[in-house]
Amino acid sequence: MSYEYIITILKPMLEGAQMTILLFVIAIVVSLPLGFLLTLAVKSSFKPLSLLAQAFIYVMRGTPLLLQLLVICFGLPMIPGIGEYLVLDRFVAACIGFILNYAAYFAEIFRGGLLAIDKGQYEAAQVLGFSKWHMTTRIILPQMFRIALPAVANESVTLVKDTALLYAVAVPELLHYAETAVNRDFTIIPFAVAGVIYLLMTLVLTLFFKWIERRLRFE
Amino acid sequence: MAIIEVSNLKKSYGNLEVLKQISFDVNKNDVVAVIGPSGSGKSTMLRSLVHLEKVDGGSIRVSGDDLVKDGVYSKPDEIKQITTKMGMVFQHFNLFPHLTVKENLEMAPRLAKRESASDIRKRSSELLQKIGLTGRESAYPAHLSGGQKQRVAIARALMMNPDILLFDEPTSALDPELTGEVLQVMKDLAEEHMTMIVVTHEMGFAKEVASRVIFMDNGEIIESGHPSDVMTNPQFERTKAFLNR
Repeated sequence: MSYEYIITILKPMLEGAQMTILLFVIAIVVSLPLGFLLTLAVKSSFKPLSLLAQAFIYVMRGTPLLLQLLVICFGLPMIPGIGEYLVLDRFVAACIGFILNYAAYFAEIFRGGLLAIDKGQYEAAQVLGFSKWHMTTRIILPQMFRIALPAVANESVTLVKDTALLYAVAVPELLHYAETAVNRDFTIIPFAVAGVIYLLMTLVLTLFFKWIERRLRFE
Repeated sequence: MAIIEVSNLKKSYGNLEVLKQISFDVNKNDVVAVIGPSGSGKSTMLRSLVHLEKVDGGSIRVSGDDLVKDGVYSKPDEIKQITTKMGMVFQHFNLFPHLTVKENLEMAPRLAKRESASDIRKRSSELLQKIGLTGRESAYPAHLSGGQKQRVAIARALMMNPDILLFDEPTSALDPELTGEVLQVMKDLAEEHMTMIVVTHEMGFAKEVASRVIFMDNGEIIESGHPSDVMTNPQFERTKAFLNR
């Protein structure tokens, strides 16, 4: 394998990686807060809202992300009557799919974080005269986020790898360019290069979350 | 003057009656030790005073204000105002693990916004000195021993300047060699005439420090009085049986 060859295939693959990173950033930035809102909705004492949120999470976690992407990209435009208004740019459609799917997972992670908080924390805050708002924002949420952090980190790494599903809706990304090169040049090297690029991306992410975890250790 | 007046307090979980017509008063400067076997309703009684448990009937008055009267609770803002006159120390400390010792002490009074930040800081450093933890302001609870945690929890309750301090088995979660330092802080408070109700299994503390002992069994107050009467010369078989365990 030649050094020059890797350089030639690297250029389109890095462009593809930009698409991967763009999708990752959009998905994580929107799905984390959305997931948190979903947790609140599930916890809401207003039953219809809670049931709706639970149903949404069930559907999003219970069906393949690939199916969801295909439905949003190709299925929605086929709905009679309204379909023609649901034709989206495929990258935009993919972003929506990723956001909705990951929000459901993050909602479950945050809910787990809430469940892990001892009821004594609520009792101590109540007896000390905290308002509901202060109890939530000063005592419960900081602990919930800290408890959820390792699971959020894990899910984020999965998200990096799931971006390869863009391939299925024909948005050119890292894996797409790797496969093009493999088919054209009949060599495994582009796959290896793609693997290394994914590893680098997940490494950066893992180090980033380790750093946050250390900073929020409460010790 | 009675700080706490409890009459005919009733509570059940399903068919199980955990409090059966409990009545007692606590006067200013009293140190009341509540003793009795596990499951006798001691903790439930204490927790209902600060509204951590809801009672089904009876009345609780705190400094003349009704928390609950004949089973009917006051409005939420009144309840909050009444319960903040009381401080609570829990068996499992319930310190906030994501906050330093200093933040644990200062957050509640700061949010209550009744006094200046400098007054709050002054009091927290005085209290830290009192519990012997000066210099540990920036430690997180995870780095404290059980005895230190419970002392911080006592200081945190005192930060709100309560009229009365409630203790729910404050030494039961501690290693035996750490109970002494917590009991000492409580003894010091008693000597300063802090009004306290202490649910405890520490018979020595009840005998030595309490001005009154209440013996509970099976959701009822069996007898109450000066520790020398109740503990050395109990009138009822159940009290005798409990003390002779």
